[in-house]
Amino acid sequence: MNPNGVAVPVPDPMGLPGPVWLMTALLLVTFTVHVIFMNAAFGGGLWTLWNYLRGRNSDHPYSRRLSLELSKALPVLLAYTISFGVAALLFVQVLYGRFLYASSILIGAVWIMVIPLVIMAYYGYYYVSHTADKGKLRTGLVMGGSLLCLMTIAFIFSNNMTLMLRPDRWLSMYRAHPNGWNLNVGEPSLVPRYLHMLVGAVAVFSAILAHIGMRKMKLDFEYGRWIVRRAATVFAAAVGVQFLLGMWLLLSQERRVAMMFITDPLAGSVLGLALLGVVASVVLMLVGAAAERPSSLVHAGFGMTLVTVGLMVTLRHLLRLAYLRPYLQQEVANVHPQTSVIILFLALFVGGLITVSYMLWKVQSAKSNSDTQSRRVAHV
Amino acid sequence: MNYPIWQLGYPGGMLIAVIAILHVFVSHFAIGGGAYLVLTESRAYRKNDEGMLEYVKRHSQFFALLTLVFGAVTGVGIWFTIGLVSPEGTSSLIHTYVWAWASEWVFFVVEITAAILYAKTWATLDRRAHLTLGWIYFVSAWMSLFIINGIITYQLTPGTWLKTHAFWDGFFNPTFWPSLFTRTAMSLLLAGVFGYLTLSKGSSATRDRLVRWSSAWLLTGAILLPACLAWYFTAIPGFSRPYFGGLIAMKHGVRGGVTFASILILIALLSLLKPRAMRVPLMTVAVICALGLMGSGEYMREFVRKPWVINGVIYANDVRAEAIPALEREGAAAHARFVAVDAKADDYGRQLFVLECSACHSVDGYRGMRKRVSGWDADLAKEMLAHIDKMRAPMPQFGGNEADRVALGKYLASLNPPENHGAVTDANRMEIGEHVFKVHCGSCHTVNGNFRPLRGAFADASPDQVENLFPLLDSMSPNMPHFSASEDDTHALGAYISQEANKKVTAETPLERPVGGGIR
Repeated sequence: MNPNGVAVPVPDPMGLPGPVWLMTALLLVTFTVHVIFMNAAFGGGLWTLWNYLRGRNSDHPYSRRLSLELSKALPVLLAYTISFGVAALLFVQVLYGRFLYASSILIGAVWIMVIPLVIMAYYGYYYVSHTADKGKLRTGLVMGGSLLCLMTIAFIFSNNMTLMLRPDRWLSMYRAHPNGWNLNVGEPSLVPRYLHMLVGAVAVFSAILAHIGMRKMKLDFEYGRWIVRRAATVFAAAVGVQFLLGMWLLLSQERRVAMMFITDPLAGSVLGLALLGVVASVVLMLVGAAAERPSSLVHAGFGMTLVTVGLMVTLRHLLRLAYLRPYLQQEVANVHPQTSVIILFLALFVGGLITVSYMLWKVQSAKSNSDTQSRRVAHV
Repeated sequence: MNYPIWQLGYPGGMLIAVIAILHVFVSHFAIGGGAYLVLTESRAYRKNDEGMLEYVKRHSQFFALLTLVFGAVTGVGIWFTIGLVSPEGTSSLIHTYVWAWASEWVFFVVEITAAILYAKTWATLDRRAHLTLGWIYFVSAWMSLFIINGIITYQLTPGTWLKTHAFWDGFFNPTFWPSLFTRTAMSLLLAGVFGYLTLSKGSSATRDRLVRWSSAWLLTGAILLPACLAWYFTAIPGFSRPYFGGLIAMKHGVRGGVTFASILILIALLSLLKPRAMRVPLMTVAVICALGLMGSGEYMREFVRKPWVINGVIYANDVRAEAIPALEREGAAAHARFVAVDAKADDYGRQLFVLECSACHSVDGYRGMRKRVSGWDADLAKEMLAHIDKMRAPMPQFGGNEADRVALGKYLASLNPPENHGAVTDANRMEIGEHVFKVHCGSCHTVNGNFRPLRGAFADASPDQVENLFPLLDSMSPNMPHFSASEDDTHALGAYISQEANKKVTAETPLERPVGGGIR
C-alpha cells in the first residue's frame, strides 16, 4: 500500500474503551510512580555499589552500613518498578499501541532481551541483599552486573520510546533488517534522552536518600547527617549535569516539536514550572543540608523533586503528542466507554489502596512495637 | 497486514509458547502455593508443630523468589511477545479488556505487597496478622486468575460478544467457569509438587508429615482435574472438538498430559506410603512431569483455538476475518503496510508467505512448508490456497485475490524441484497413483480413513469412471479445487482410487494414514 511512503498501522476498529483524559491521567500517574521506583532501584543500586565497595575498607563504617541497608530495599524497589511499569505499559498500549507495537517489532530481537535482562538484574539484586553483610568482592561484581543489565534495559527502552514517535523511519529500517536487529541510533535525541534518564535516576534517588537520612537522624544523628549531606551534594551535582543534558535533549528535538515550548502556552508553562521546580529543589536541598543540624528544608527539597518528576513526565507526554499529532485524530473520535467496568476498576483501585495501606500499617505498627520492646530490653 | 512481521526465521508462536508455558507453570504455583502457605502455617500453629513452621518459613522465601521474580517478569514477557508476534490480536484484546487488565493489575500490586510482607514478617507480626497477610495474598492471586481467565477464555469462546460487543458477554463466556475450575485444580496440584522442593535433607517425622501433606495437595488437584477438563471439553467450540480425535499433535498432547498426570499420581501415592522415598531424583521427576502436564494443557488450549487468535474475529496469522472480503477483492498489497506492499515485486510470493503464513509456518523448521508442499506445482498450490480453509488441518481463509494466490503458489512450488517420477508402468502404477493421491487429494481426503473418505463415492467405480469425474470436480462443489495433472498421473490416480475404494476393509485393516499433520 505504501511502497515508499510512511507506513502507520490503522487504529484498532474497537475504538477506545474509556475517555482519553482518564486513560491519559492513569498513564501519567502510573508512569510517574514507575519512574520514581525505577530511579530508586537504579540510582539506589549505584549508591549501594559505590558505598559497598567503599565500605569494604574498614575506614568507612557508614558506607558499609548504608550499602547494607540499601541492599535490602533494592529487590522491593525493583518489584514495584516492574508493577507500575506494567500499568503504564497497559495504558500506553491502549492509547498508542499501534505505534508501540510497530516500533517494538522493528527492534524485536533487542526488545525481547528486556525480559531476561530484568530477570538477571532482579536475581542479582536478591543475591546482593542476601550477601551484602559478608563484604565479598563477588557481591560487588554481581551488583555491577545487575546495574549493567538495568542500564542496557534503559538503553533499549530509550530506543523504542523514541522510535515509536518516528513512523517516517519505520519502512526503511524494516527493509534493512526485518529480523528485529535494529536500533534507533540515527535519532539525535537518543543519547541525551538515555543519559537524562540515567543521571535523573541518580538525582532523584539522592533526593530520596536525603529524605531517608533526615529520618535516620532521629535514631543516629551523625549517621543520618552524613547521609543527608552526601545525598544533597550528589543530588546538586547530578541536577547540574541533568540541566546540561536537558538542554541537549531539548535542542535535539525536531524543530517543529521544540517550537512547541514557545508557541504552546501549556507546554511552555510545564517546562517553566519544571525548571523552577529543579532550581527550587536544589536550593532547598543544599540550604537544608548545609545547616549544622540539617533542617526540614531537605524534606521540602525532596517533595519538590517528586513534583518535578511529575512535571517532567508531563513534558515527555507533551513531546510524544507533538510527534504523533499528525497520526492521532482517529483514536479520539472513536470512544466507546465501558462505564460499568471503569467504575468497578476505580472501586477496586481504592480497595487495593486501602488493602495495601492496611498491610503496611499492620507491619509498621508491629515493627514499632518490637523496636520499643527491644529498646526496653536493652535498657533493662 | 497492519503491522510489520518480525521475521525470526521460525514461527513466533513458538516463542510465545515457551515463555507462556514457563510463566503459567510458575503463576499457577503462585496461586495454589499461596493457599498452601497459609494453610500449612495454620496447621503448624494448630498442631503446635515447630518443624512444620520452620519449613513453611523456608518455603515462603523460595515462593517469593520464584513467583515475584520469574513468575512476574515472565508475565511481562508474555505482553512483550504477543505484541511482537500478534500485534493485531493484542491490540484487539487490549481495546476490549484494558479495564479488566487494569483491575487485574490492582490485585497484582496487592499480591506482590502481601507476598513480600508475608515472607519478611515472620518474626515481627503476630500469628493472626501474619495469616491475614497470607489470605490477602491468596485471594488477590486467585482474583488475578479470575480476571485473566475471562480474557483467555474469551479468545476461544467469545460467545454472544460476537453479536453484542459487550464486555461482560465476552468475559463470562461459555468456557469461563470450566477453565477457572481447571486452573484452580492445576494450581492445587502444583502447590503440592513445589511443596516437595523445600523439604529438609535429612529424615524426620516432621519431614514425613510434610511429604504426605504435599502429596495430599497434589492428589486433590489431580482428582479434580479430570472432571474439570471433561466439563471444559463440553464447552469448547464444535469445530475444535474433533481435533482431539484426529489431530496428531492433539493426540500427542492428550497422551503426554495423561502420562505426566499418571506419573505424578503414582509419585504422590508412593510418597504417601513411603515418604522417605521423596528425595531429589523423585522431586526432579515430579517437577518435570508437572511442567510437562502444564505444557500439554497449554499447548492443547492454544491448539483448540486454531485457526484463530480470537475466535471469529482474528485469525492465527493476525488477519481480521472481516478484512477477508476486501483482501479477496483488492489483493493483499492494497492493504499491507510493511510486507508485500508491492504486488509487482520479484519476491512478492515470498513476501506473501511472510505476511500470511509465517506466524505458524517456517520453510524448513517448525511446521515446515517445504515438506508439506512436496509435489505441488504452481497451479495446484494456487488451487489449494483458494480452498485452504477446507483442508484437514485448521487453516485460516487466504487473505488475497487470484493474483496473490498465483504469486504465493509459485513461491510454494519453488520450494521443491519439479517432480519427475518417470514413466508410469503396470509395475509402478499403484505406487505413483498413491503418491499423486497424497499430493492432490490427501490434504483434504482419505479413501478408507476417517476424514472425508472417498470410499462411499467410488465404491464399485472402475478406474475410467473415477478418472471421468476429475474434470468435473470444481463444478460439482465450490469446495473442490480444479483438477489438473499430466495424463499419466491422472490414469495412475484413477487406478489407485478405484483399487483402494473397492478394497475389502475389515476391522483388522490398518487405518489409512493421512498426509501431513491434519485430522485423521
